[in-house]
Amino acid sequence: MKYIGILIIVLALVIGILPQFTDCQSQGRAITTADGKTVPMKCHWTAVAELILAVPLAAIGGMLFFSKRRETRLALSGLGALIGVFVVLIPTTLIGVCASNMMLCNNLMMPTLVLTGILVVAAGLVNGFLAYRSNETMA
Amino acid sequence: MNLTRLALRNIAGNSFRSWVVILCAMLVAGLALATTLVIRGAENSLNLAINRLGADIIVVPEGSETKVEGALLMSTPANVWMPDSVVAKIANVPGVGVVSPQLYLSSMENSPCCSVSNMFLVAYDPTTDFTVEPWLKQKIGSGLNLGESVGGTYVFVPEGEQAIKLYGYYLTLKANIEPTGTGLDQSLFMTFDTASDMARISKTMAVESLIIPENSISAALVRVSPGVNIHDVAVEIFREVPGVLPIESLNMFQAYRQQMNGLLRSNLIILTITWALSVLLIGLVFSMAANERRRELGVLRAMGATRVFVLRSLLMEAGILAVGGGGIGLILTGLVILLFRNLIVQSLGLPFLLPSIPSLITQAAGGLGLAILSVTLAALIPAYRISHTEPAVAMRE
Amino acid sequence: MIQLDNIHRTYILNKDSVVEAVKGVNLIIENGDYIIITGRSGSGKTTLLNLTAGLTRPTSGRVILDGVDLWTLSDRQQSRLRSQKLGFIFQFPSLLPTLNVLENVVLPVIFNDKSDRMAAFERANELLKLVGLESKKDSYPRQLSAGQQQRVVISRALMNQPEILLADEPTSDLDERTEHEIVELISKIHCEKGITIVMVTHTTKLASYGTKAIEMVEGMIKNSSV
Repeated sequence: MKYIGILIIVLALVIGILPQFTDCQSQGRAITTADGKTVPMKCHWTAVAELILAVPLAAIGGMLFFSKRRETRLALSGLGALIGVFVVLIPTTLIGVCASNMMLCNNLMMPTLVLTGILVVAAGLVNGFLAYRSNETMA
Repeated sequence: MNLTRLALRNIAGNSFRSWVVILCAMLVAGLALATTLVIRGAENSLNLAINRLGADIIVVPEGSETKVEGALLMSTPANVWMPDSVVAKIANVPGVGVVSPQLYLSSMENSPCCSVSNMFLVAYDPTTDFTVEPWLKQKIGSGLNLGESVGGTYVFVPEGEQAIKLYGYYLTLKANIEPTGTGLDQSLFMTFDTASDMARISKTMAVESLIIPENSISAALVRVSPGVNIHDVAVEIFREVPGVLPIESLNMFQAYRQQMNGLLRSNLIILTITWALSVLLIGLVFSMAANERRRELGVLRAMGATRVFVLRSLLMEAGILAVGGGGIGLILTGLVILLFRNLIVQSLGLPFLLPSIPSLITQAAGGLGLAILSVTLAALIPAYRISHTEPAVAMRE
Repeated sequence: MIQLDNIHRTYILNKDSVVEAVKGVNLIIENGDYIIITGRSGSGKTTLLNLTAGLTRPTSGRVILDGVDLWTLSDRQQSRLRSQKLGFIFQFPSLLPTLNVLENVVLPVIFNDKSDRMAAFERANELLKLVGLESKKDSYPRQLSAGQQQRVVISRALMNQPEILLADEPTSDLDERTEHEIVELISKIHCEKGITIVMVTHTTKLASYGTKAIEMVEGMIKNSSV
């Protein structure tokens, strides 16, 4: 069960770091408005949101690694799974990425976030199940 | 207390070894599925593209075969031209039923009109066309009028707009064709009149003008007369019409087929090596497990377990691990291919279409079957050996 | 009744090394006997026990259990006979580590096609009560002392209501006090249930617990006393 904590930390790192290098802003692209100003595209805001989610997720992973109490592990697992759901929803529904499938944010950043989000949810559910089944505090 | 419960407890009790076997099963099943999905997907795409074109023969300017195939399959820009007089010459070749000319143009980069930045524009002659118009009449009840278009699956009208703006010209999107996994998904079909109108408007309204050379076409689609041999007609066209190359649809995309075969070969080599190493590793793991547990298995025999029971017990563990690992491998592979489809297409330079659900289930079952076979085979020898060891010998230190 | 008829067991270690672990032993074990087999290490006593139970094949001679020559039976028939008539207590820790105490005790039931599986857990609880370990039924072997583990093994050995209990140095890893407790328990089982017991031990003072004592020396029975 400790190793699930490590897995969640690794996934949190991917969720937080990868979008910073695969959104259109990092590729030198932005929207130019009529008055000549450049504004970031929505994939940039997705990257920011994912970074915000990644921080507590990494903390949850770390706490899972050290935590011994059954109830704590249950709660952390549930919270982790919930964050995983938002990791998936942000690039697909809540904010989104650019529509063109030639753009890195669409063909690399979004699928990676969806995959890691699903893995976080799975890790949270599995860890929660194991914590629920255990009837003793971990040695 | 039964065989299955015993097997599950043993699996849980040796988590490191169990995870090694699960990982091997994951790899074997996942790789097998990935190979079949990508290769079959590419094959399906190619066949769909040929069906979508609807032609028996496609006649292109000599030397432009690769460009045209690239445009159709991967929507890479292709500005290829030949005089429109070839249409009449082709029509005169014996065995030719219908000839329909087409123009291939490309949009500007990063057009906001579409989910793709680079679009492949195809202009056709509605009076002779035998693919788009009939399909349109079936789908929406009429052909295309001036200013109207049909798009591939990735083409859409931008949010908040009523039409697609290309080269300063507004195009109404009447319908979208079904996905093919090829460049046709990023295509926009319009009539010759619409293309000419767009070119005219673009001179004043667009940042970059659309140039259509006078009296030129890019390709001519040919349907042969019923009962006529396609190859014979193609040979005749090649002989009688200079400066063109007729490509039989069955022979289309040869370069891509060769690439596919090359990919298949390398994937099969990787799969074979992975499979062999996995079987060896799993065999080693089960050998170690059988050795470590030989006293325990000797005790079971003393209590009345038959040799067959001991064998079944170990193979049951192997089977459970194989199904579990194989299942995880299949799910992960399916997810990765589904999510990263576009990246795979761009990296491999091959079109790719996800299979239908029944086909996917068959391919997944094949991958799982291979994983189960591999793990069971690997566990068989150590399991047989320990089950046939005398209990007293097994229990000896 | 078990009859060992001119039993030999020879091990060929390599082409130059042959070990005759049991040489021409004749022994009759009557119903209700409590036989203690003593002897030094390497005297062949464990091999004799294994031969009695059909856990190793004799090089020559016969093992007859209730009138049936064990080695004329198929593996399935032998295994069935073992599960129904024999119970074992081993010298080494023989509980399955991945099962808890109750599951370990119930385990023999899956090999005995005559047993009532529904009543199995109830019987297992009773047996644990007999050995004083009903409170430990959910514990795992690693959570028990050596003496407690042996008591669980005794419960397991009795699970299928065997006619014969075979114990191979059941107290060799135990301290003197625990050894005494285990041997007392086995004696109690012999008295209360009338089960035939064959126990191997290198501790000669335990010979007084049995109805018969046999001393093995270099693969042969040297002394036999009642």
